[in-house]
Amino acid sequence: LFRAPGAACLRAAAACSWFCLVLVSFSFLRFPGFVTRLLRRGAQQVDSQCRLLQAAAGRAAAPTLPQLPDEPVSLQAAPGGLFRLPAGDPFAEPATVVWLAVLALGFALVCDPHENLPLAESTLRRLAQRLLGSLRLLSPGSAALLRADSAEALLDRFLPHGQLLFLNEPFVQALDRELGARAAR
Amino acid sequence: MSPCNELILSCDEVQDTKLLSLISSILLAQGNKKAEVSAVGQRIVKLLEGRLPEGQSSRHLLPVLSNVISLSPVSLTEEQTNVVSKKMVDWLRYASIQQGVPQPSGGFFSNPRARQPGPVTEVDGAIATDFFTVLSLGQHYTEDQWLNMQAFSMLRKWLLCYGGEGMSTPNSDDRSEMDGSVMSMVSTTSTSSHLLPPKERLREKAFEYCQRLIEQSNRRALKKADGELQKACLIEAVTILDIICKQDSSYVYRTLSSLKILHDRISGDVTYARALLPIAQFFLNHSEMAAVDSDAIYKHLFTEIPAQLFHNPSLAFEFIQFCKDNSQLFTDTSSIFRQSFPNLFKFLAWNSPPLISEFVDLLPFLLDAGTAIEIFHLLLDLPCLTAALDIQLRSTSLPASEKASCDPAVKPATCLEAFRHPLYKSMFQYLLRVEASPEDSPERLIPLRQLLGSLASSPRVVQCADTVPVLLELFFSVVTEFADKLLINQLVLLVLQRSDQLYEIPAFKDDVYRVLSSQLLTLCKLHPALIVELSKELLEFLGSVGNIRNKEALYTHMVWAIGEYMSVSYDKRCTVEQINRFFEALEAMLFEITQLRPLASIPNYAPRVITVLMTTLTKLASRSQDLIPRVSLFLSKMRMFVQSPAVTSVYCEEDREEILIRATELMNLLKMPSVAQFVFTPPADVASTQFQRDTNESLPFALRMVSRLLEGGAGFMPG
Repeated sequence: LFRAPGAACLRAAAACSWFCLVLVSFSFLRFPGFVTRLLRRGAQQVDSQCRLLQAAAGRAAAPTLPQLPDEPVSLQAAPGGLFRLPAGDPFAEPATVVWLAVLALGFALVCDPHENLPLAESTLRRLAQRLLGSLRLLSPGSAALLRADSAEALLDRFLPHGQLLFLNEPFVQALDRELGARAAR
Repeated sequence: MSPCNELILSCDEVQDTKLLSLISSILLAQGNKKAEVSAVGQRIVKLLEGRLPEGQSSRHLLPVLSNVISLSPVSLTEEQTNVVSKKMVDWLRYASIQQGVPQPSGGFFSNPRARQPGPVTEVDGAIATDFFTVLSLGQHYTEDQWLNMQAFSMLRKWLLCYGGEGMSTPNSDDRSEMDGSVMSMVSTTSTSSHLLPPKERLREKAFEYCQRLIEQSNRRALKKADGELQKACLIEAVTILDIICKQDSSYVYRTLSSLKILHDRISGDVTYARALLPIAQFFLNHSEMAAVDSDAIYKHLFTEIPAQLFHNPSLAFEFIQFCKDNSQLFTDTSSIFRQSFPNLFKFLAWNSPPLISEFVDLLPFLLDAGTAIEIFHLLLDLPCLTAALDIQLRSTSLPASEKASCDPAVKPATCLEAFRHPLYKSMFQYLLRVEASPEDSPERLIPLRQLLGSLASSPRVVQCADTVPVLLELFFSVVTEFADKLLINQLVLLVLQRSDQLYEIPAFKDDVYRVLSSQLLTLCKLHPALIVELSKELLEFLGSVGNIRNKEALYTHMVWAIGEYMSVSYDKRCTVEQINRFFEALEAMLFEITQLRPLASIPNYAPRVITVLMTTLTKLASRSQDLIPRVSLFLSKMRMFVQSPAVTSVYCEEDREEILIRATELMNLLKMPSVAQFVFTPPADVASTQFQRDTNESLPFALRMVSRLLEGGAGFMPG
């Protein structure tokens, strides 16, 4: 997910070397080049940071996605980190990227350099966990698709207009209930 | 960006908050060509001001508002910001402390005896002791409690934008021109606080909210996720308090004391380490004003935290950002910040990929004449540091039983054993030091480097090694700006000395030699007289064949430098005797590597070594002309060398051609000694044309010119 700092919320799911999910909201259709650059640059960086972290920690690179997990995947031990995007590449201002890798997917959240990074990290984990739940695998080991409407609803509640929220557990449960109720409709 | 001008989207009449939120997404992406941002902002404030229709919630509006003020803070008038500030005071301070009721799911008769919801609780389960905050828990939340959470989520941005005198953008540097010395003229005691203007009132309530969060963070959360939220809230609260104090310095005294208590409470808890950074930032910003001694805080932060938590990537990143944000602190040589650079490099050694670009920004601030040498050694030993940190980590996680002290007489079998072994212990301690401490004899780490060789191929070590060439280049580009002759000489000697004392990672050594070679030339160019001043050490270096074999780039560049700078035009002290001494040493080397021993194979020295040696010898001969016959004789034998079977089997045709051509050109040049002298030792003021600067290009060109001239022939046209 890319939330552009200081700009209107950009909802795009991204990326990893194995396959790249692109879900671009209508807001950014007028900047196709920008989005591609953003996704490519951001995805590249997340991918390389993830590989390097895995290598350094002595773990094998994640395999391709044979099938989706049945139970919720615990993200506590998932590799992740922070890095900086310098000014001009691709945003005018420098940005900090919070990233997380789960199975064969990378998730990234773009923040202003002085935002509350611990909050961004926990928000990203929360989102990733729920986004995994709304993945649809087209065929084992190849492309997967994010159900656009459920992803949109999820982002709208947990990251409304790109705003990080200080959500304690009951708030999270309330939002999950709202999502569930919406899905049931 | 409407497809047709008649199709316009407007938020002016929208009453439904959810719809407004959706429309705003589109409008805010338009790029504000028709003041869409302002229109959205206006509409939101209007809705917030009035009473919303039944079933509508303001919840959807606040995030949009947050976006509006990021995009265009001037969209709202002062009157409008006052309206919102007033609302925020209500939401932040006066939200209900009773839990909400669940939405009715059954019919009218669902459960008439449903229990009234109780009060909200703290994160540890206790009944809430004070007003509602984001750390208050309930089964269900009321509308105003939702707004409390959202208002806090945007509070920092709001205060940055509208909390000070005048306006600023929420993305501007926190250390903007907010005049912290403006004292609030209005009393801030709670009894009269309702008389305060909205901005000041919000400031006061924000202050109370943050203090409450700090107090709430002292409780032991029942759920792990809430525990994480506590930490995030703590960081946010301290940051907001910092902003408040910048905007109104009358808050500083109160805040200082509570933050000092907080610091003492959490400083021993590694899970709270990230919160130490905004606390330290606060003290940096405000403690001087209050004449509070905060050195203990900085000392703890810089000496304990990196040593304990270098392996935490998030902390590492934020710590280095903190250093960059406060880079001016590092310019004071005696300060704790500057002195702790060995500790800072631990972050880089362990987390190289994300932090290398940050260190490229930070390194210049750490370098001065006092630290340059120590940092030079540190950079070359950075991968060793990674290995040592690995061992330290593994050692601390060993059970106590295995930590028995070692028998000094027995050599350690593993790196882990060596960590506690008396022979190696002090070396480890030096490498893992937390403060700057110049080492007089760097060779004392040689045994440690050898011991750590077993870890040289570990991925983390290799990743770290990859960062060193970049940092070395940067190091030299910064140091050459301020280095005096003494430092330059020291560095040249160290380059030669350390070239034997590098961590054994093959690609690493090659890269380091490559960088050091070109930097050697830079140093020589800056201070050409060093060739004369350090002639003893240089002769020693150049006189060893092993150096040609193992450090070819370094050797070649050094030889070239001798040829270039060993001349009276660069240093009056350059005597003929010295030129002769170097000549003899280099001649011996060239002889050594071109000798055709029967039944022995030629070691494969790169042709470049041979050509550079030949050229330098020729240059020296042009300045001490008695040597010319010796060189000419040597050069004339190169044809034989190149055509011998041993050489044809080792060097390809192109290379042999190159050697031969060069030898011939040099011989031709020596036939005209005064031309040779001019070409090889131009007077200093001539040495600034393009050709002279471009030494790699110009010399072969010059040689070819001369050769053609000599070979003559009608119709020869220059150029």
